Order: sequence, then structure tokens, then C-alpha cells
Amino acid sequence: MPMPAAVLCGLGSSLPKRVVPNSRLVEENGLATDSEWILRRTGIAARHMADPRTSTGDLATAAGRAALDSARNLAGSPLVPDILLLATTTPDHRCPATAPEVAHRMGLEAVPALDVNAACAGFLYALTLAKGLVTAGLYTHPLVIGAETYTTALVDPHDRDTAILFGDGAGAILLRPGTASQPGALLAEDLGTDGSRTGLVRVPAGGSRTPFGSPGTTRKDFYLVMNGKAVYAQAVRRITASALAALDRTRWSADDVEAFVSHQANQRIIDDVAGRLGVPAARCHGNLRHVGNTAAASIPLALADAAERNLVRPGARTLLGGFGAGLAWGAHTLHFPEARPLTRSPHHADHQGAAP
Amino acid sequence: MNDTRPRSAVLAGIGHWLPPTVMTNEELAVRVAVTAEWLRSRTGIAGRHVADAGMATSDLAVEAGRRAMESAAAGEAAPDARNRIDTVVVATTTPDRITPATAPEVATRLGLTGAAAFDLAAACSGFLYGLAVADGLVAAGTAQRVLVVGAETLTSIVDPTDPATSAIFADGAGAAVVRAGRPHEPGAIRRVVLGSDGAGSDWIAVPGGGARHPVPGAHGSGQQRYLKLAGPEVFRNAVRRMTAAAREALARAGWEPADVDRVIAHQANVHILLAVRRKLGIPPERMAANIQHVGNTSAASIPVLLAQDAAEGRIKPGDRLLLAAFGAGFTWAATTLVWPELPGTARALR
Repeated sequence: MPMPAAVLCGLGSSLPKRVVPNSRLVEENGLATDSEWILRRTGIAARHMADPRTSTGDLATAAGRAALDSARNLAGSPLVPDILLLATTTPDHRCPATAPEVAHRMGLEAVPALDVNAACAGFLYALTLAKGLVTAGLYTHPLVIGAETYTTALVDPHDRDTAILFGDGAGAILLRPGTASQPGALLAEDLGTDGSRTGLVRVPAGGSRTPFGSPGTTRKDFYLVMNGKAVYAQAVRRITASALAALDRTRWSADDVEAFVSHQANQRIIDDVAGRLGVPAARCHGNLRHVGNTAAASIPLALADAAERNLVRPGARTLLGGFGAGLAWGAHTLHFPEARPLTRSPHHADHQGAAP
Repeated sequence: MNDTRPRSAVLAGIGHWLPPTVMTNEELAVRVAVTAEWLRSRTGIAGRHVADAGMATSDLAVEAGRRAMESAAAGEAAPDARNRIDTVVVATTTPDRITPATAPEVATRLGLTGAAAFDLAAACSGFLYGLAVADGLVAAGTAQRVLVVGAETLTSIVDPTDPATSAIFADGAGAAVVRAGRPHEPGAIRRVVLGSDGAGSDWIAVPGGGARHPVPGAHGSGQQRYLKLAGPEVFRNAVRRMTAAAREALARAGWEPADVDRVIAHQANVHILLAVRRKLGIPPERMAANIQHVGNTSAASIPVLLAQDAAEGRIKPGDRLLLAAFGAGFTWAATTLVWPELPGTARALR
């Protein structure tokens, strides 16, 4: 009897229209670096940046719609999500969650909708939850979206250490019940965290630990700060270990991996992880060069990019790995999906939401 | 009834923690320029627990989580490494920081470094959403034992000079340990009814500080950083949605309202609770309440009430429980369970 599995059956993306190459980023923000240095150090040449009116919810809605279009094209008839999980570090509001508004804007009336926060590992976490819901028979068609607007919400444009890294965007996938041998089937995963290193990537103020208006806080305290060196070392170590754990649960060796799609944070991290795993560079797929680090949106955007460019055959043995603030990390194995990815431009909400 | 799943999440431990400082109406009245009597008659709340300066959501979550873990451990013959919690869910609207998530820190402080850990946002429905995803993880075999925490320091987002919101919203944490078990054993979480309606997203909201109006801009200061509430819209939707979700959860269990021994509803406000109780046809003595002393603690509300009622003997093994919530988003949720033997529950009282 074929093994039941959650199957990825739709793939969508949305990127803000504005593309900012390194040279312009350096010039506009007076960063003490240059275009070549950024590319050499990070592998990033350009990123898409949201304008101030485009929010995480706008990008999520567009990517979600694109994923449903993609799924409909593959299935031959519309598939309706029965739960929406939005992985984001940059929700539209502190309260409520952004997922219910995204569901409403997509015309999904009354579906369960929740936000999941595990920073850059958020998509892998939400994917695990969605897979669990399908495997358990609780839901049939979860829509999983990763969406972020780091450049407008969290990043200090004048902080060279972070400003050069991040971009905005959203990626989305639809799941359906199927079997483990099908293209798109999710196979195994590994997730983990280490909360003793919360300080390595963080926004110091604005939460309950140091609320808005706390004495002594300045504007700088509301921006993302990162200990780049320590993050690099942890990222390499954690993604490698997590990938090995997921491979082990799938009974694959690194040689079996036909496609490795990592969280797109820094090309040197990706290369280092691939080297340690023994996955050849030709099997590593990503779009870091063109989009930068889009946090929770990164993995579905990279998956869509690889599918769009026909770089991986449907059904190919695929490994996903991610790492981020928390620290939180994860890895998944799957058969590469056959859904053709679609993309949509973000549209602003009819209103700007909760502005009194 | 018709739950044919081989595995489901089963409640194995419960605990709560409230910060020791109690803000009475008399104390609050001084700050918000209304009388203590106005506060009492308008909200039905006599006092609420508030976090001291410097106390964050994780501090409350860790205390509640520890008590839930102790409660679960008391039900075991001997400490067993196989009973280690592998997943930590923190449902909160008031995380310690914008990033990273609060759950990894909570996990580490509970000795669970390495566990999968994430924050979940569904406002006041967050704890029941957390139970639902934990049920999925356990039923799928992805997780064996999950700590689901609802923790809030709502005072960090409430305007201290606004009588309406500062009278209602308060701080606290509650937590449950769920383990892999069978759908028909006592403590099994029946399929959680979940829903949302984003058309209501403006009616309970913190306008500033998110991607729509980021902090570094002008919106991080002033009134934009505080929780706003549109009373009539919230009341109407809360009563309608919580009642409907509760009826659906009862139908899934094959129970009539008369079969329910105790209703554990999100402690939103006394008027919503009264309306929901009447619509469902639940006698007053079966409607659990602690709002008079605890206020509305959002995601913490249901586990705190559960832990208190269990510790004080108002919930007994074999009792049929109905859980229901409604909150910002809008989101709503409801489920049922038969209360299990929890030998460690009395510890949760501490």
C-alpha cells in the first residue's frame, strides 16, 4: 500500500517591484563599502525592496494567490485551502496576526489562520505543522506562506552589517494529501532551537522585555542587530547537523541528494554547509544573488526560482535547510514538486489597516 | 465519536503562573481618572495580576511551563528520558522581542535546549490554536510530547491611562503538556474547531510597531503602540463566533449542552461570557470564571482557568469539558475533552 504523505502541489511567489542593486544601496544610504565587496562577502548583487506602503500582508496575499493559481493549473480544477499558516517575523501589526487578514483578502472566508514565528526558520516550522495537520487527517489543503518586509520594518538602512543582507518578498506553497512516491511529497524533517543564544540576532526593544517607550531606548534599539561572525559559525553547524538528521530519517545519504535548497542568507554559509554535507555545488540551488536574505520567505522563493528555471526535475530527491534567530533551525526532505510556479505583483490593501 | 485516527494528543499535565503583584480597582482608579466603582460595575473585574517592571512574557511562560511539566511528571512512575518534551509552542501576542521568537528562550530555560520551539500568533485563540497544531504533530508522529504555553504581558501594550483597556487586560501564563495517546482515552483533545475572519482585523489591534506602520517611523510612538478595542463589533462577533464554534465542537463530540460538566471559555469580559452561556443553554454553575480576579489574559486565559479549576477541585476526572475562545484577527476556536486523572494537578496550585 502506498505511504500517505502531504504533497506540495502549488508554488507561488511575490516580490516588490523595486530592485536595488548593491551600487545603489551603497550610494543611497552612504554605506562604507562597495558593490564588489558586498557581492564577494555575501553573494548578493541586488534585492527587491518594498515601498513604505507595501506590507508583509500585501506580499503574502499575492504569493498565496499565485500558489493557488499554480495548484489549479496542475490539478486542472481549483483547490481551496482549509487552513492558512503564515510564517513571518514582520507581521503587519503587533496585534492581530496577519494571517486572518490575508485569508480574508484571498476570499477564504472563515478558514483557520495563524502566524508562526521562528524567524528565518519560520517557513520550515510552518511546513512541519502543515504536514502534521495533513498526515493526521485534520486538514487537507494547508496554504503555507513565508512573507517578510525586513527592509521597511526591521533593518537600519545605515547599518552596513545588516542593510546589505536583507530583501523583501513572499513565497507560498499549497499542500494536498497524496503518497510518498509522488513529486512534491514531504518525507521527513528535523527541527531544533537553542534559546541560550537569543542575543546573536535580535531586535533589542519593542517587545514585552523592553516595551515601546521604555526609558533609555532610542530609535536604534528598534532595529535588527546581528553578531555576524557568531551567526555564521552557528548557521553552518546547525544546518549541517539538521540536514544530516533529516537525511537519516529519510534513509538517504548525502550522495542521494539531487537538489539542495538552503535558506538564502549568505553564499559562503551555503557553500560551507554543502561542502560539509558533500553535496556538489551543481546540486545547490538558490536565488540569493537576486533577492538577498528574505528570512521566512527565502526557502519557498528559492524553490519557486529553481522550478521556474527548470533546474530540478520533478520527483528529484530534495533537501531543504534553514537557520535563523532564536536560534532556530530545521531541515526537510521531499521529492521536488511538479507544480509550475507562478508569481504575482503585490497589491496594497484597500485600507491601511487599524489606523485610527 | 467518529474520530478514527490512530493517535491524538492527550493532556498529561497542566500549570499556571500569575505575577504576584495585584492591581486593585482602587489603585487603578488613581491612574485612569475614573472611580473604582465605575471600573467594577463596567467590567466585573475586582483586580488583576500585573507583571512588575522588567518582567517579560518568557518569565511568566517559564513558570507556567515548569508547573505543567511537574504536573505531567507526577503522573509518571519514574523519570523517563522518553518522556522528554520535544516541541515547545508559545502562543502570545506579547513576545519578549520582535525577533527572535520567545519559545526558544523558554525551552532553554526549562532545560529543553534543542527542542523544536516556535511562537504562534492567534491572539486570544492562541492557546487552542496551539493545541490544534500540537494535536497534528502528535497524531502525525512528528512529535511525542508537546508543551503548549499561553503567556502574555498585555500591560506592555495597554495604554496605562485608558480606563477601558487597562481595567480588562492583564498578565499571566498557563501551560499544558500533551503526549501521544489514543483518541478515546480520557484527556484526548478532540479535533479543535478553528476559524478566522480577517474582515474584523481592525477591531482589536495595535496599530503601530508592525510592518504596516513600523516602529522606526513616526508610528512607534504615542497612541499607536497601544491596544485599541472597538467594543460593539467585538461583542457581537465574539458571542456569535464563540457560540457557533462551541456548538460545532459539541457536535463533533456527540454531546448536547446538557452533557457538559464545565465550560472553560476565554475570559474576554463578563458580558460576552454571559451572552455565550445563555445562547448555549449552560447553567451558571457550570460556567467556569476567574475574570473577577485575573482579567483578560488573552492566550493565557484558558490554560490559567483550567489549571486553577483543576487545582481547586472544580474539575474532576471524568468531567466533560467544553473549551472555547475568540480573539483579535478575528480568530476563534473550540474543542472538548474528558478530564483525565492528573495526579500532579494539586502542585499546579502553588
